Amino acid sequence: MQLSTSPDPTARISIRGLSKFYKDYLALDRVDLDVRKGERIVVLGPSGSGKSTFIRCLNRIEPHDSGVLMIDGRVIDDRTDLTALRGSVGMVFQNYNLFPHLSVLDNCTLAPRLVRGVGTSDAEATARRYLSQVNIAEQADKFPIQLSGGQQQRVAIARALCMNPEIILFDEPTAALDPESISGIVGIMRDLTEQGITTVCVTHEMGFARHIADRIVFMDRGAVLEITPPEEFFTAPRTERARTFLAQMIRH
Amino acid sequence: MPSTRPPALALSRPRRTPALQRITRRAAPWRRICLAALFVLAFILPAARAHADDLPSFVHDGQLTLCTNPTLPPMTFVNGSDTNALAGMDIDLARRLAAYWHVPLVPQTMDFEGLFPSLSAQRCGMVISGVLRQAGRLRNYDAVAYLDSSVVAVARVGTPRIRTMADLSGQTVAVQSGTSYAAQIERENDRLRAAGRLPIILQQYPTEDQVVQQVLIGRVHAFISQDVELYYRQKQLGGKVTIILTPDYPDFHQFAVYIRKDAHDTELLQKAIDDLTQQGELSAMARKWGISGDHQSVFTDRKASSRFDFATFFSALLSTAFLKGAALTLVIAILSHLTAIIISVPMAMKLNGRDSIVRRLLGLYVAIFRGAPTLLQLLFIWNALPQFFPIFREHWFTPFLATWLSLSINESAYQVEINRAALRAVDPGQVLAADALGMTTAQTYRHVIFPQALRIALPPTINEFISLLKTTSLASVISLQELLAVTQIQVARTFQFTEYYAAALVYYLAMVFFFLFLQKRIERRFVWADRDKASTDAA
Ligand SMILES: Nc1ncnc2c1ncn2[C@@H]1O[C@H](COP(=O)(O)OP(=O)(O)OP(=O)(O)O)[C@@H](O)[C@H]1O
Ligand SMILES: [Mg+2]
Repeated sequence: MQLSTSPDPTARISIRGLSKFYKDYLALDRVDLDVRKGERIVVLGPSGSGKSTFIRCLNRIEPHDSGVLMIDGRVIDDRTDLTALRGSVGMVFQNYNLFPHLSVLDNCTLAPRLVRGVGTSDAEATARRYLSQVNIAEQADKFPIQLSGGQQQRVAIARALCMNPEIILFDEPTAALDPESISGIVGIMRDLTEQGITTVCVTHEMGFARHIADRIVFMDRGAVLEITPPEEFFTAPRTERARTFLAQMIRH
Repeated sequence: MPSTRPPALALSRPRRTPALQRITRRAAPWRRICLAALFVLAFILPAARAHADDLPSFVHDGQLTLCTNPTLPPMTFVNGSDTNALAGMDIDLARRLAAYWHVPLVPQTMDFEGLFPSLSAQRCGMVISGVLRQAGRLRNYDAVAYLDSSVVAVARVGTPRIRTMADLSGQTVAVQSGTSYAAQIERENDRLRAAGRLPIILQQYPTEDQVVQQVLIGRVHAFISQDVELYYRQKQLGGKVTIILTPDYPDFHQFAVYIRKDAHDTELLQKAIDDLTQQGELSAMARKWGISGDHQSVFTDRKASSRFDFATFFSALLSTAFLKGAALTLVIAILSHLTAIIISVPMAMKLNGRDSIVRRLLGLYVAIFRGAPTLLQLLFIWNALPQFFPIFREHWFTPFLATWLSLSINESAYQVEINRAALRAVDPGQVLAADALGMTTAQTYRHVIFPQALRIALPPTINEFISLLKTTSLASVISLQELLAVTQIQVARTFQFTEYYAAALVYYLAMVFFFLFLQKRIERRFVWADRDKASTDAA
């Protein structure tokens, strides 16, 4: 992992020495990473290793304490316009966090209308387009509670897409899904890449990781230990820590 | 003659005098001659008038303000179903005094307990409300007597007469709370206990009509009251009660006008009363209201029906007095609760937030206003606040505003807990999602948190509201003419308890059921929270 010490402004995301503390607990330890446009990054690592913390720093839901984070050549710090940042960096959560009091369609149009000032009919047209892209166009008028887990996850993805982001962060998007739904999500994520969207995805599903990752980022105790293509990571991990991690995963 | 200050009228026996010697020469026969002469003089002298520059200081802003508790006919009561139509000897006297000083009379009605605090708070210039002239009260106020009276012990007809109060040993006796009969009975009890006998058991009720009712239903053996009131009651009671004793308490011989302590004012008031006495106006008023020395003459045998009178019930139900009372109850409850909700939402947000000075102060606020009885808060705001801040004495600070203020503050302390719980119940993931979509904090609250918290808060909030609707009845103590106050005034006038209570009950229940119905309707809008309902609804 020999990256130059200064961030790369041509990368979609460029990270140097990113650290984050919770009080005196070091949750992220000098992380370095460059992500190209349209790349699919999968973050792996044991529980508590800082994966969620890491991707939450990317849209500044968690502000970092030191190091440099650059997105599309712009440094992200406490002077960054968060509304603009979150428009270009979308996020999909493990338990979806859909707004239960709004219909599927309204879930998708709320932020574009409020944050972007898009007119209702335009927002609805966009929302319906993305809902059909994730194959749930017919559920548009239902409430989230009426949908299955897989359907809800698709709504969450459509909701993020409606803001036209360049990057989408996924925190364990498949954790609550059955295998069939997981393969559906795999398809959707490939579509996103075709649209030029960069994705960073935290997961515990090794099969899923292998299918979608361009590169695997392996984390332990807040630090990045390996950044490698999936074939290499799953067959010949470079670090001892990754080997024991994989051994445990396979045993499960 | 004015220097001897004779009692205003020589009726029956005198009433609440300071047991002072001043009025002991009352029986002198020359007094009657004097009175007769004065009657003649009254025709010769011009009508009694005061000079404008000689106004007492309690005539303020060009008006004479009166505090009275209109539940004591024939002294002060509400005549007819219009609760604003005050009537009685006291009201006539107050009007006459106002005319005497060339100013309009502005009466304010309130609970008996509220009269003297209101006088102290300068909310009114004088109290005329069938109050006896008594040594204890004279320590804090000045009083000028205007009518003689005497104490009576009254029991159901057929009860044998007794010789002294001591004969009531071991019996239960009812009195109106706030009056001094209770203290008098305590003194009687001290003597009884010293003699090794059972004390008189005392019950106190806030209104005179309830006191009388205790005798009628047989809960107590007798009640203590003034003769003048009994004359009037006899007309309503149709001879159901009888006087069993006329104890001679020197402290209970005269009704008096009370004012704040001021020697000059007292002199002017005494002069006005003397003038009216000399012109025979006071005795004319007494005659008009049937206040007569002959106890027996008023004992008519008109039979009052003991059955439920549907005509009275329905006319009460449809009367404007009850409608107005119910509307006032509803309006004050809605206004107070809305205000409480508006102030308690930011309070709840702050209390759910990080520790700070403001948060601790809010915690204290909640503890105080949940801890103190609501009645006490009402009385404090109405009676004590003006002593700290004179601005609350002014006329804009009406009982309505005072009730609104105290119920809003009180209710916010309860509502804030509902709000806190509701806000906490919203999944923190919702804020995260809104954040990740670039929504501002305000947008997040408005479009994401509040709609979800509302569903959780609604049922307990409606519960609170229903409870508040009933709490408004406490405001009768500070003279707000809400539903229960209207009911009590009507009962005092007619003595038809059951009919008026039933009418009030119908109003309260109708209002409560309406809001329960509303709650059901609103809850139906939260289909999103219930999978089955959402599915059937979408179909
Ligand atoms: N808000 C917080 N305050 C304090 N400590 C936190 C906070 N969030 C996370 N941590 C700690 O930081 C460390 C990393 O947490 P993180 O959630 O990033 O791990 P993770 O790799 O996503 O784990 P998992 O696979 O279980 O989701 C953990 O030790 C966690 O306890
Ligand atoms: Mg995590």
